[in-house]
Amino acid sequence: MSGWAEKILDIDLSTLTYQVYPLDMEMARKFVGGRGLGARLLWEMVGPEVDALSPENVLIFTNGPLTGTGYQTSNRFSVSTKSPLTGTILDANSGGFWGMQFKKTGYDVMIVRGRAENPVWIEIKGGSISFHDASDLWGMRVYALTEKLGQNNNKRNVLCIGPAGENLSRIAAIMNDRERALARGGPGAVMGSKNLKAIVVEGKDRPVIDDPAQFKFMLYETRKLLAASPLTSQALPEFGTVVMMNIINNIGALPTRNHQFVQFEGAEAISGEALTDNYLVKNASCWACPIGCTRISKTDKVEGEGPEFETTWAFGAQCGIDDLAAIIEANSLCNDLGLDTISVGSTIACAMELTEKGYLDSDLRFGRADLLARCVEDMAYRRDLGDEMTEGSLRLATRYGHPELSMSAKGMEMPAYDPRGMQGQGLLYATSNRGGCHMRGNMVGPEVLGLPKLIDRFQVQGKSSFVILHQNSSAAIDSLVICKFTNMGVADEYFARVLTAVTGIHYATTDMIRVGERVWNLERLYNLREGFNRQDDTLPPRLLTEAPADGPSQGWVVQLEPMLKEYYRGRGWDENGVPRPQKLAELGLADI
Amino acid sequence: MVDQRIYEMFREIGRDLYVANMISSHGGNLSIRLGDRVVIKRRGAMLGNLKPHDLIETRLDKNDSGVALASTELLVHRTVYMTTPALAICHCHPRTAIAFSLSRDEIVPIDNEASYLLKKIPVVSEEFASGTPEMAKKVAGALQNYKIIMLRGHGSFATGQTLDEAFFWSSTLEEACQIALYVKQINEPFIEYRKMSESYNKF
Repeated sequence: MSGWAEKILDIDLSTLTYQVYPLDMEMARKFVGGRGLGARLLWEMVGPEVDALSPENVLIFTNGPLTGTGYQTSNRFSVSTKSPLTGTILDANSGGFWGMQFKKTGYDVMIVRGRAENPVWIEIKGGSISFHDASDLWGMRVYALTEKLGQNNNKRNVLCIGPAGENLSRIAAIMNDRERALARGGPGAVMGSKNLKAIVVEGKDRPVIDDPAQFKFMLYETRKLLAASPLTSQALPEFGTVVMMNIINNIGALPTRNHQFVQFEGAEAISGEALTDNYLVKNASCWACPIGCTRISKTDKVEGEGPEFETTWAFGAQCGIDDLAAIIEANSLCNDLGLDTISVGSTIACAMELTEKGYLDSDLRFGRADLLARCVEDMAYRRDLGDEMTEGSLRLATRYGHPELSMSAKGMEMPAYDPRGMQGQGLLYATSNRGGCHMRGNMVGPEVLGLPKLIDRFQVQGKSSFVILHQNSSAAIDSLVICKFTNMGVADEYFARVLTAVTGIHYATTDMIRVGERVWNLERLYNLREGFNRQDDTLPPRLLTEAPADGPSQGWVVQLEPMLKEYYRGRGWDENGVPRPQKLAELGLADI
Repeated sequence: MVDQRIYEMFREIGRDLYVANMISSHGGNLSIRLGDRVVIKRRGAMLGNLKPHDLIETRLDKNDSGVALASTELLVHRTVYMTTPALAICHCHPRTAIAFSLSRDEIVPIDNEASYLLKKIPVVSEEFASGTPEMAKKVAGALQNYKIIMLRGHGSFATGQTLDEAFFWSSTLEEACQIALYVKQINEPFIEYRKMSESYNKF
């Protein structure tokens, strides 16, 4: 069948063996690929009895029917696992080139289970799978390792962990293509717990497309739409994602100094404009991407990809730091050590507030740009306070008696949008299945950018409908797998038609969104099985009780309770947030 | 009680529909989905002159007292919400588009804007073209694949995340049909300016 290779590669590191077996195509039709397929497989494999860092947890790498086809941004892939940071279901996806190359190896899914006795790396090349001793690679940083294993963007691609993953940091990322990251929720620690240092792929199988003429037409129309959107054709290529800095600051939704404020006086100094004017070498693109939001930045000390908006905010406004060079260098260090920049930055900010309030004895203070690099290193190598910080902000703040100072939802640090200025974003964070995250249906589209049309960001009634739709849509897009920035210029109906052209199976727009709804409900069921409940669908008390004293969001706290009630009803869940049997039957999940 | 912001949205789009000649004095309707509820125009209210009490809130999945007051087209709106991701529906009577719907099974725009935005608008046909389950099923079925469709001889149904968006598709359709009408009246050879334009028929 077109779109899928119809094969699963299942690797057991405990025995250094593997099996190849057919992908259940009924499952593939219902869950498509990427995040959806990963969630469905994880449901069967990893139950509540499994510790995230035990050999019984698995890493499920998935691509999707669109991956590697050449459709705009069809470079992405996904990893699913149980999160060592949150204990929830986790998926993280990444761009670059590795996903396209993985697809070319002829597998839809690669499951990695067990734990190797000694460090290993895996090579998948020309239809063969080999295990290599990685004892001499253990301890290597990402940049050097990527080069050593022969990274070659269009031919051979390296995915690996850095020292942070080896040291089981709960905020460790898996890195690919040197500086792309499966960042959130600690998948790098899961890989480290398996003694797996790297996976290198070299493929040759080109994906088959069922209806090349229709695919070509959709490619052409998508190109027109992306070119027509100022966001995808001008703002992102010129300024990168950091273009959001001034926009979000201006509306009073930029979390500042660990969410104590919603506007940062130094925003201009760390804006996309400042980055472009002072540090940008050039922009770059992932495979098959016409947008080119990637920054290649240079300071006196480093040159490389990034930083993204979230990173710039996490080390910047969130830490009260307006030194862009220091932020670029902290970002580069995180990439080299294999850490999630959002969680690292926000955990540092948490430590800064704990210290300033007298709950923690450290030299950290808001504005101390000179301490960023040391903090990052300490977290990767578990040195001194870094040993506690690398567990994430919630564990850190709890240890010092003030969990309320962790700006997290379900234990995952929230990103760069303060929901007091964006009510929908608050509901989104509270209900996100992997914790505080903007990649699970970002409300910045409708509430700030007017995509598809601007809605009132302070409106509460009816907001849940938008959140539900955007969550479903994002789950579907993550299952294709393509980049969500494409969705800034191209509507969901195009993706459904491309999916149809590639697979030969008719997916109406409704069907595609229904895939997303199915995935969302399955993830919810997973978390319920893990023991999460309604009380976990919440936000830090600060966001619910402390209103900004001035600025465009003055007087607003997140009106979570009424939105949450409406949300549960709209989702077809009961008052405790449990999907009703009728909803599960409607989604084809009755057997779950 | 419907939020003031929501009322203002209905009032503005309703007024715009009337001013744009896309409805008669009491024709057309608008609705939005709020979770498991629908807010829709009251039956017999004038979209061009909506008052707060002209908005009726009722359940999506079953009847309550709100249905006694709701628009005749409540059934089709509910069916669309139950079977598509729509959060807003704009139903209006664009005159040129209705005229075209009487002689074809699909409208394929030839102007740039509508080619770009809509590609193709299917026309569905139903004998009892107002408020019936058969009509609701046909309209909702077509809207699973398209964001705007024509009900032959009756009018358009457009979906979106907001009323603003659904109105946009509606006015784009009517503009496209007016341009197509002018082209017919001018009656000169059409100069194709779009690549792969034959693919619009298959969209």
